[in-house]
Amino acid sequence: MRSRSARKQFNPLVYILLAPTAIFVAVFTVWPVLLSLYQSFFLQRMNIVRFREPTFIGLGNYITLFTDQYFLQVIKNTFSYIIGTVPISILLGFLFALLVNRKLRGIGLFRLAFFHPMVLPMVSAATIWLFFFTPDYGLFNTALGFLGYSGSENWTGNPNLALLSVIIVAIWKNSGYYMIFYLAGIQNLPSDVYEAAALDGANGWQVLWRITFPLLRRTTVFITTIAFIDAFRTVDHIFVLTGGGPSRSSTVLLFELWQQRFEYQNIGISAAITVIFVIILLAFTITNFIVSERKEG
Amino acid sequence: MRTKKSYFVILGVLLISLLAACSTTTPNQPVVQDQPDPVEETTSSEEVVSGEDTASVEETEMDPVTIQVFYPIAVDAPITDVLNGYIADFQAEYPYITVEPVFSGGYADVQTAIQTTIDGGGQPPAMAVMLATALYDLINADYIVPMDGYINNMEDGNAYINDFLPAFLENSYYDDQLWSIPFQRSAVVLYYNVDMFNEAGIAVPNSWQSWAEAAQALTVNNGDSTNWGLQFSSDWPYWLFQPLAIGAGQNIFIDDCHVAFDDPAVIDAVQFYIDLSAEYGAMPAGVQANWATSATDFASGTTAMVAHSSGSLTSILNQAEFEVGVMPYPGKEADTYASVPGGGNFYILNGAPQEQQDAAWKFIEFLSRPEYVADYSIQTGYIANRFSAYETNVMQTYVNDVPQALATRDALQYAGAELALQNLGQVRGIFHDYIQRAINGEMSAADAMTAAQSEAEAALVDFCP
Repeated sequence: MRSRSARKQFNPLVYILLAPTAIFVAVFTVWPVLLSLYQSFFLQRMNIVRFREPTFIGLGNYITLFTDQYFLQVIKNTFSYIIGTVPISILLGFLFALLVNRKLRGIGLFRLAFFHPMVLPMVSAATIWLFFFTPDYGLFNTALGFLGYSGSENWTGNPNLALLSVIIVAIWKNSGYYMIFYLAGIQNLPSDVYEAAALDGANGWQVLWRITFPLLRRTTVFITTIAFIDAFRTVDHIFVLTGGGPSRSSTVLLFELWQQRFEYQNIGISAAITVIFVIILLAFTITNFIVSERKEG
Repeated sequence: MRTKKSYFVILGVLLISLLAACSTTTPNQPVVQDQPDPVEETTSSEEVVSGEDTASVEETEMDPVTIQVFYPIAVDAPITDVLNGYIADFQAEYPYITVEPVFSGGYADVQTAIQTTIDGGGQPPAMAVMLATALYDLINADYIVPMDGYINNMEDGNAYINDFLPAFLENSYYDDQLWSIPFQRSAVVLYYNVDMFNEAGIAVPNSWQSWAEAAQALTVNNGDSTNWGLQFSSDWPYWLFQPLAIGAGQNIFIDDCHVAFDDPAVIDAVQFYIDLSAEYGAMPAGVQANWATSATDFASGTTAMVAHSSGSLTSILNQAEFEVGVMPYPGKEADTYASVPGGGNFYILNGAPQEQQDAAWKFIEFLSRPEYVADYSIQTGYIANRFSAYETNVMQTYVNDVPQALATRDALQYAGAELALQNLGQVRGIFHDYIQRAINGEMSAADAMTAAQSEAEAALVDFCP
C-alpha cells in the first residue's frame, strides 16, 4: 500500500523540469564550493615551483588568515561596507518606490531616472564617479562648497574617506534596482485594505507603517537577501575608484580574494577565503529566512 | 503567490541569460583548430623556423594553423583597427596561418584569463601580450616558454635582439633565457609646459632642487582652485615613483629576490615626494587618484608639469594649445636624470601545440619588422622599440613633426629597470601600502619604508630560499 502510494506520487516530469536547475546549481555552485573546501586545507601556490603541487596543511590557511592583522582589517572593511550600503540602499529603494508609485504625467521619466544606474556598466559609471570625486573641481566638492562646506576633500585618496566613496557609488548603483522590486510589490498590494484604512480614518503615516510596510515584508526579505549578496559581489567600482587603497583601506573580501588568487596566485589561501565567504553568506541567508518564517507564524 | 510567481519568472530569465552567456562564449574557447588532417601533423619546430626566409616558397607545403592572440584592449590607443590591419598583412604573407585576435580587458584580465585556462586544464592561446614585469610569475607557474630556440635558428639572431632598445629587454631574461619580446612599450617622463616656463623666465629643471622651485614658482592659487606646478598620480604609485628613487641613486629593488625599500636613497626620494607638497606647496597633498585628470589638467594648461606615461603623448599633443616639452625626471644631483620603462611584451604560452607556438613566433617576428614597429609607434604613441625603426622614412618624417617622440626614447638612456621580481603582486602591494601611508602622513618616510622592507623580505622568503 505504502509503496504504491509513494510510486503514485513519483512524477518524472517534476524531476525533468528540475533537472536543468539542479545540474546548473550542482556544477556551478555545489561542486566549486566543495572543491574550495578541499583546497583550503592545502598549501598551494602557483608561482612557487616547489609549492605548485598541493601539500596538506590542515587548518593552516585559516590560521594564517585569522592571525593576519591585514586580513582582519579586510573583514572589518567588508562589514563596514555592508552596513554602509545595505540598509541605506534598501531604504532609498523603498522611498523611491513610494515616490514613483503615483499617477503623474511623465512618471516614467522619473522611474527611468531612478533605475538607470542599474543599467550602466559599473566600470564606466565608476570612471565617471572618479571625476565627481576629483579634489579640486569635482562635482562632489563643488556641491559641498555650494552648501557652505569649505574643505575640499580628497575623496578617493584619503584613507578615511576611500571606503565611504565606494559605498556612495554602490548605494547610487543599487537603490534604483531595489526600487523596482518594491514598486512591483506595492502595485500588487490588495486595494481593499487601503479602502478599509481610509474608512477608519488612518493618516498617511499610519497607512505606510501599519499597512504598506508590513505587507511588503516578503519583498523586504527578498531585497535584503539580494542586497546583502550584492554588497559582497560588487567590487568592479573598487578597481576603478581606489584599487583597494590607499593603504588597503577600501579592500573588501571579494577584492582580497581576487588578489590572492590571481595576483599572488595563492590557491590555498584563496580557497579558504572562498569558504569563509560562503559561510558568511549562508549564515546570513538562513538567519534571514528563519526570522522571516517565524514572523509568519 | 504573485511574488512567488515573479521569483520564478526572474529565476527563469536568469537561467536563460546564463545559458545564453555560456553559449556565446563557447566559440571563444581556445580549442578551435580545424586542421584538415591532424594525422599528417608532423611538422617539427626546426622545419618551420628554418623555412622563415623562404616562407613564400614553402607556404604551399604548410598545414594550415590557427593561432589565438590574447590582447589587452584597455590601453591608451585605438589598437583594434591597427592590429587587425597587421594581421591582414601577416596572413597575406603566410596564407597557412590564421590569426584570431581576442581583445579583452586590461593586462590583468588577459593574465587572469590565461591563468584560469591553464590551471583549469584547458589549452591556452598560442600567444599573448602581457606586462613585461609579469615575467617571474609566468615562469614560476610554467605558463610561458623561452624563445632562445627561435633566436638561435634565425640567420642573425643576435642582430635581431640587439636592435631592441636595451631598456626594453631588462625584463625579458631570466636564467640566461629569453622569455619575451618587447611590443608596446612606454616610459615614465615629465611633461612640461614650455610656454609657461618661458613666460616665467624659468629654466628647464636639471635637479630636484630646481625642479621643486620651478613647480613652486608655477603654482598659482586662484582662491577656489589651484593651478598646480606639478601633478603626480599616486593611487598606483610604484611606477611613477621609481624614477625618483633611481634619481636619488638607488632603484627600489636589486634583483628578483631583493628589494631596497629602506635604502637611504629611496627614503630620501619618498621624503622629496612629500616635500613637493608639504614644503613647496607645488603639488596637491596626500594620495592622488588622478591618473586621468592630471594629464587632462596639463593638456588644458592648468598644470605646469605632470609626471606621466609616454603613452599619453599623442592625446596630450592633440589637446594642448601650447608647446609641450618632454624630458626624464631630473635627478637629485645637478644634471642627473632618471626614467623607467613600462608596457607589455609578447609571450608564447606553454601548452599551446608546437605548430601554434611556431606560428606565433612568426607573427612576433613579423611585428618586430622596423616598418611595423615604426607604424605602431606613430599610430599609438608607444615608443618605437627598435633602433632600426628610427631609420625608416615614415619614422623620420614623424619625428620631424613630433620631436617629442624622440625625447621619450631618449629618456630611456637614464632608465632603471621597472619593478619586476618574485611574488610581484604581493611585494608591490606592500610597497604601495606603505608609501601611501607616508604620502598621507600616517607614517614618516623612514618608518614606512623600513616596515615595507621587512614585510617584503618576509613575503619573499618562500620564493628565494
